[in-house]
Amino acid sequence: MELTGRHKVNATPSTLWNMLMDTDTLSKIVPGISKLEKTGDNSYKSILEIKIGPVGGSFKGDLQMENIEEQKGFTLKVQQNSSVGNANAAIKIELIPVTIEETEVAFDGEVKVTGLLASMGQRILGSAANVITKQFFTNLDHELAKQQATS
Amino acid sequence: MSIKITLTVNGVKHTNKVEPRMLLVHYLRDVLKLTGTHVGCDTSGCGACTIHVNGKATKSCTMLAVQADKAKIITIEGMATHHELHPLQEAFNQCHGLQCGFCTPGMIMTAADFLTRNKKPNEKEIREALEGNLCRCTGYENIVKSIQYAADKMSAPKARKTKKEATV
Amino acid sequence: MSTNNGNGADAPNRFIGKSVKRVEDKRFTTGHGRYTDDIVLPHQTYAAFVRSQYAHAKIVSVNITTAKAMPGVVAIYTGAHVAEVNGVPCGWQVNFKNGTPMKEPKHPLLVTDKARHVGDAIAIVIARSKEEAEDAAQAVEVKYEELPCEIDAFKAAQPGAPLVHDDVPNNICYDWALGNPIDEVNAAMNSASHVTTLEFVNQRLIPNAIEPRCYNASYDRIHDHYTLYTSSQNPHVIRLLMCAFVLGIPEHKVRVVSPDVGGGFGSKIFHYTEEALLTWCSKHIGRPVKWTAERSESFLTDAHGRDHITKAEMGFDNDGKIVALRVKTYANLGAYLSTFGSCVPSYLHGTLMQGLYTTPKINIDVTAVFTHTTAVDAYRGAGRPEATYVLERLMDLAAHEMKVDPVELRFKNFIPPFDGVTQPGYQTQVALQYDSGNYHGVLEKGLQMLGYDDFRKAQKEAAHNGKLLGVGFSTYIEACGIAPSSVVGSLGARAGLFEFGQVRVQPTGKVTVFTGSHSHGQGHETTFAQVVADKLGISMDDVHIVHGDTGKIGFGMGTYGSRSLAVGGTAIVKSIEKIIEKGKKIAAHLLEASADDIDFANGNFTVKGTDKSIPFANIALTAYVPHKYPDDLEPGLDFSSFYDPANFTYPFGCHIAVVEVDKETGKVTLKRFIAVDDVGNIINPMIVEGQIHGGVAQGIGQALFEGAEYDNNGQLTNASYMDYCMPRADDFPMYETATQITPCPHNPLGVKGAGEAGAIGSTPAVVNAVLDALWSGGHEVKDIRMPLTSERVWRAMQN
Repeated sequence: MELTGRHKVNATPSTLWNMLMDTDTLSKIVPGISKLEKTGDNSYKSILEIKIGPVGGSFKGDLQMENIEEQKGFTLKVQQNSSVGNANAAIKIELIPVTIEETEVAFDGEVKVTGLLASMGQRILGSAANVITKQFFTNLDHELAKQQATS
Repeated sequence: MSIKITLTVNGVKHTNKVEPRMLLVHYLRDVLKLTGTHVGCDTSGCGACTIHVNGKATKSCTMLAVQADKAKIITIEGMATHHELHPLQEAFNQCHGLQCGFCTPGMIMTAADFLTRNKKPNEKEIREALEGNLCRCTGYENIVKSIQYAADKMSAPKARKTKKEATV
Repeated sequence: MSTNNGNGADAPNRFIGKSVKRVEDKRFTTGHGRYTDDIVLPHQTYAAFVRSQYAHAKIVSVNITTAKAMPGVVAIYTGAHVAEVNGVPCGWQVNFKNGTPMKEPKHPLLVTDKARHVGDAIAIVIARSKEEAEDAAQAVEVKYEELPCEIDAFKAAQPGAPLVHDDVPNNICYDWALGNPIDEVNAAMNSASHVTTLEFVNQRLIPNAIEPRCYNASYDRIHDHYTLYTSSQNPHVIRLLMCAFVLGIPEHKVRVVSPDVGGGFGSKIFHYTEEALLTWCSKHIGRPVKWTAERSESFLTDAHGRDHITKAEMGFDNDGKIVALRVKTYANLGAYLSTFGSCVPSYLHGTLMQGLYTTPKINIDVTAVFTHTTAVDAYRGAGRPEATYVLERLMDLAAHEMKVDPVELRFKNFIPPFDGVTQPGYQTQVALQYDSGNYHGVLEKGLQMLGYDDFRKAQKEAAHNGKLLGVGFSTYIEACGIAPSSVVGSLGARAGLFEFGQVRVQPTGKVTVFTGSHSHGQGHETTFAQVVADKLGISMDDVHIVHGDTGKIGFGMGTYGSRSLAVGGTAIVKSIEKIIEKGKKIAAHLLEASADDIDFANGNFTVKGTDKSIPFANIALTAYVPHKYPDDLEPGLDFSSFYDPANFTYPFGCHIAVVEVDKETGKVTLKRFIAVDDVGNIINPMIVEGQIHGGVAQGIGQALFEGAEYDNNGQLTNASYMDYCMPRADDFPMYETATQITPCPHNPLGVKGAGEAGAIGSTPAVVNAVLDALWSGGHEVKDIRMPLTSERVWRAMQN
């Protein structure tokens, strides 16, 4: 499944970059995340609780950032396993400055799923992914507003 | 952890301790050994497990056994009374409404509930009532005819009675 | 449907030809059927499988440590444990065109090196309960290294495609051709004044018997004896394959029982890996082990059907006579050779390319290809629906292209009627000899029922009012009553295809019949009893039919290929003939006459021309209490027969669909479906009609609703009843059925077979009707890929 989209955020690339590189912030904004543990410079171990239509499960796996270009973007590699199927994704994320205070986040990648996720969940995977992405950016906006309010 | 449930199945009271995750259909099949209720899928799509819970047709794979505590349940084994077949059971035989027989209990239980709500259904209504039940053998036509046959039969005795009363 | 006296006009039949209500129904309508999953044995354990989530992946490691320590777990086995055990065999060897045998890679019980399709079994977990087995199966950790995969048969056969089996170059299992030499066919095609060409996909279907596959195996250590309960269409075949080819255990130490089986449609013919593995496990753990497929597991592991990519060309002369047919098919076998996977796209498909037509030059060329998908094998019709689809789509399209009526085109090309008795059978260009046929008759009857002239008028009027009405025709033939052993043997079958029938007359004159055929919905307990009761002049209540148990029945080849009555029924008739012959000898002795002077009719043995007679029951008693008895005769009245048919049987018919297509949405509504079938003599018209109904529904299902959808990663994306569109009750109109009777000339009952006819004839009729509707609205569309969903039809109309 293709996963592409753009979202404008009220923050500079550097603010955004710092948030995306921070484990605590990430665990607050990634939907369904119940555990996020840094295992290396650019890698994490995670547990996600996700429900896609009729299929729900607890996903365990690795998140890895590659091709990192400071404040410009990176490729997020995700390998998540669960009893209802595995998900494997490589998503290119770019931070594009729009104005001084605004940055556009562009993402483009492919998600591959297996198991029940593929055989029963795939039909609605696209719309589920849209919801999850939307949730991610809502959380991001919310977190940003919180940080801006406190600073 | 087990939970105690008490329920009436086909007029007989049962009390058992069951695991909370046990589905009602597995309780009926595995604990009570009422194997006439079948499991054909895992997404509540086929209707082979249809039974009556408190008088309503219910797919017994969509309910936990613990949710059926205190319920009155009828399964296909409880449809014939005093060795007399239910009109639907007779109808399925008369109209060749079954082949392999696997979907049949679910079909009969769905139809029985439907006929209490619609005593004189037309073909279209019957077909729509069977939306939740899959049959791979019959192509459905003879099931539709069976339900029509049973509906006629179930309304017939009353008609005869009225006739008799009229002549008296 | 018309009734028929299947026993000849002069013998009074009380049951044959009558719609006798089924004797098996009572147990099914009251919840007392006994299916494999209903059986729980003492000390029962339950199995769950760890299956590959990837279509193609190297299995790096399988870690069972955590799983093994979980509550209730009895044993866990992986591929390494069964590495020494043989894989499951293929029952039919097809050779390459150059004569070398097909590629036959091992189909192991559990994989070790690589997984080759989603659902490939990696480990089996056995526990005290099903839930515990499933919990532990989820705890088995498998490390995969994903590899590129290919799901499309044509692409998989191209150089450079990912290999399913390292030792099968280009994934080609075999290439194969049948018919006239290709040069002759090409020359005839070049001489044609019109050539209709059609490229299409006959999509992959999932059989979906509502009872999921289920096995329960046990081992008795004291007697060194196994019992396997299996939801199979042919328990003796399973025993033979499992004992002789997989586990290497002697057959007399194994009993295989197929109790009530909830539908098969072909998918329960095959010897599946789980059957052998459970049997193997039962000895290792010393306890019975049962496995019932989850529905999602059935979708991934029951053998699928169809899946052909075809290019077909039909050439016509100026007069509209067919001069040549050329067909090229890529057949998808899936990842492994299933039991009959090899013969379906070849000998059960290519041999039907003559259809009902006098086509003088035919060549069919098939490339059978392995892909990273579930194995493909026989599904209701098996090869014959695919052949019919080729021919009948070509006929309606050719008529449209040549601007002639599709009905006239058929009449012009039909093989003339022949009864196979006074006239010889019809020798086709593709190996078979048809037994008897009257093809004009079924089409004429169908046209009458349709009211063809009126329909065309209504269609024109509808088009005028902006509505799209269409009619589609399909005049099909099939080869069933499978099969003469020597013929199929010469074509590569690794088994005989005879049938066994034993008739045991009890001392009281009641009769127990043991048949190697297996009923999983066909109603043998009724149909066979009708035959036996009439032939012996006794009541149907006095006949009991036993099937599905190798412990009780001498042998059997089972039920598939519409063979039960033509082959299994005939085996029973042969035994009845022996009973009557012996009965005559006993009667002759008692009546002090010569056996030649004894007649048997209406249940009585009578001295010809006299009123001296003895009832059947008395003869039975005498056979078991032989006080006054011929010296040279053994006591008892119990005979077995093996019947090997002389030829296939060839049912045929005419199916007509009328549809309306919604111009705005592309939605197809099936308004009428007419089926005129000639299945030879009919024993029970009600049951035959039921078989036709079911087959037709499946054929319409293929045309309008069903189809397996794989994504490019080899994931089956519609593996549930929420996703795979199974036809439901409100998808169909009332069917309009009729029969014509052209008896089979080579079996004593004159029967042909009715199980698959509906599924063979119906699909192209529906697709043709949709195209006819579009043509009536001026949409020049050649093909729409099945299933004809609203979206696909709508898109076709936009071009």
